[in-house]
Amino acid sequence: MIRTILRSHWLHTRRDTVVLGLTFVLPIIFFTIFAIIFGSMGGGGDGIDPLRVIVVDADSTGVSARFAAALEEQDALRVYRAPRPTDEQPEPPPYDREGALAAVRRGHVSAAVILPEGFGDDFGNFTAQGEEVEVIYDAANPLAQHVVSGLLQAAAFRAAPDVLMEQGMGYLDQFGGGLTSEQQAAIDQILPFLRGERDWEELAAESDTPGASDASGGGAVFEGLVRIRSTDARAAGEIEEERRSAIVSYYAAGIGVLFVLFSMAGAGGSLLEEEESGTLERVLVTNTSMTTLLLGKWIFFGLMALLQLVLMFLWGALVFGLDLFTSNHLAGFLVMSVVTAAAASGFGIVLAALCRSRAQLSGISTVVILVMGALGGSMVPGFVMPDFMDTAALFTFNGWALDGYLKVFWYDDPNATVLQSVGALLPQLAVLAGLAAIFFFGARLLARRWETV
Amino acid sequence: MAAVSGTESVLTVREATKRFDQTLALDRADLELRPRERLGLLGPNGAGKTTLVRAIAGRVRLDAGRIRLLGAELDLRSPQSRRVRGRIGVVPQEIALYPLLTARENLRSFGELQGLRGHALREHSDWALDWTGLADRADEPIKRFSGGMKRRLNIACSVLHRPEVVLLDEPTVGVDPQSRERIWEMLEKLRQEGAAQLVTTHQLDEAQQICDRIVIIDHGRVIASGSFRQLIADTVGGQRQIALELDGDVPAALREVFTIEGKRLIHGLHDVGRELPALLERVAAGGGTIRDVHLSSPTLQAVFIHLTGRELRE
Repeated sequence: MIRTILRSHWLHTRRDTVVLGLTFVLPIIFFTIFAIIFGSMGGGGDGIDPLRVIVVDADSTGVSARFAAALEEQDALRVYRAPRPTDEQPEPPPYDREGALAAVRRGHVSAAVILPEGFGDDFGNFTAQGEEVEVIYDAANPLAQHVVSGLLQAAAFRAAPDVLMEQGMGYLDQFGGGLTSEQQAAIDQILPFLRGERDWEELAAESDTPGASDASGGGAVFEGLVRIRSTDARAAGEIEEERRSAIVSYYAAGIGVLFVLFSMAGAGGSLLEEEESGTLERVLVTNTSMTTLLLGKWIFFGLMALLQLVLMFLWGALVFGLDLFTSNHLAGFLVMSVVTAAAASGFGIVLAALCRSRAQLSGISTVVILVMGALGGSMVPGFVMPDFMDTAALFTFNGWALDGYLKVFWYDDPNATVLQSVGALLPQLAVLAGLAAIFFFGARLLARRWETV
Repeated sequence: MAAVSGTESVLTVREATKRFDQTLALDRADLELRPRERLGLLGPNGAGKTTLVRAIAGRVRLDAGRIRLLGAELDLRSPQSRRVRGRIGVVPQEIALYPLLTARENLRSFGELQGLRGHALREHSDWALDWTGLADRADEPIKRFSGGMKRRLNIACSVLHRPEVVLLDEPTVGVDPQSRERIWEMLEKLRQEGAAQLVTTHQLDEAQQICDRIVIIDHGRVIASGSFRQLIADTVGGQRQIALELDGDVPAALREVFTIEGKRLIHGLHDVGRELPALLERVAAGGGTIRDVHLSSPTLQAVFIHLTGRELRE
């Protein structure tokens, strides 16, 4: 008996490609996506995408220049010193603090490092209360702050070990009763190597001093060598509230868009249900055209999707303090939601028109939506993803929708007018509106199979 | 059985031909439906019935041939054809309704798609609810309805706009005898009000009883058409059949006169009144003791099998 049950189930499963796909292929796809995402976290190393960071050298001394250069050498960072050249400004000036702050706010880079005036004077001085290095970060990307801070300490030692040595010996001379002439001679011998004026291998040849070749390595003594002051890019006195609002807006958009797609795929399935039940035939026998029918469905599903998004964000605003009720946010949210809903509705219809049965639609939509959700940032924020996946997000529905919502709620300019805020969304609006049109016309084309044959 | 009017046909199909890839679904099929007539369209599975009905409904474009409906040539692109299509009703075989909507809401939805609005829509919906006997359940979601109720509503949704020609695809499939009776009563009422009906069915006994004329189609071709009597005369003939069941074994003397099926003697009769007494006497004389007598007339089933054969169409 059990053998019969096993055999019949096996035969059924083997012939059901949807079940096979969902059982064996989808988990592998997901595993791959998340392994790529989380395998790249922490930065550095081959094939792993570095954090984008602006370095502003307001000190302009030899030490600060060497420090900035040391940061540029970090594999885990991609350092920008000036904006990209444009036709109007082929040689743009280096970033200043304000420019860097704006770039972080807009999400162009993960963080900015400001080397203040006087940075070089007190570098390596453990007792002085000198200028702090400022790390401007975006609360939407909490990882960047910690990664950059850690890398600053590593860069500090690599940048100017000679300065550290001189400063250290100064303290010993001052507080420890001075050095013997032999000790002073040894230090004088090593300083050119620390400054990079001579090669360490020469030292090894000249001297059998143990550990000399390790001098460029870090050590516990240097932890906390650079004093760091972290600044939230939106630090306008309400950091915590803004941070929370950002996270809520991210999840409202991420989850909202994901579920809108699922709902629309389900709703689109009504076409297949109507085909199976004969209702579609009955409707088409009247003088209702296929275009009219699809248009009606597209509008209705679109309104449903819009309502779903409105409810999601309203809930976020009322319960989790999402900053929805400012004119800029509200206007941006509404236009984004209208085009997102229109495109999602089209997506549901085109998918249904593409599939031959409800089961096929269910399987395909699950795979497509979950993969788009993972790549597009509905499940994991974009800043965690490697660059190529960030690029892949451009080919997903979720990527564009989330990008738009984050522009509305997070990467917005508080000084912009409503029109400017909405204008900033033009790329997202254009892509989503384009997708809505492509999906609808695609569905219309595919729906010819239901028309007069 | 209703009388057939001699006026101009409301539907004429001539030389209808349609090919789907390698399959010739319709092969120069001809058909005619007269005013107030109920025409049965019979045929084995895959014979071309549904293709023909869909072509008349404007859902299949013919490769050749023509369809004239209510005085207009059907051309799927012409506005006139669209107007004419508004004057027919198509009842699908499936229960093509919205299950979560009530009976009234379903009627309203399909009524609007058929062009009814406002007062006319309300009036026609009320008529349909009365006509189907569903007035007292009008505001219940139809998913709670029995199969027979759904099927009645299924028909009502297609004739709400009171079409002059109704195409019915297996209107009584899957319902109990009571519901079937009720459906035919409804359709009879509709016919009396002037609607000609083209009915496809596999219920041959039903077709025999309720259709004025019958068209039999096979392999896309119309192979016979006419009234039941005409079909009988043209195929199996009008001979009735008698089966005499004997008490014991069949005596040898009777084996030459009758066809033997077990203990049954089978014989054809042209004139029952004249031939039956003589036949009974002959059995008694031959030593047979009759236990039971079965007299049967030729059926549409016999005609159908005679014309289309016993081969399965799968």
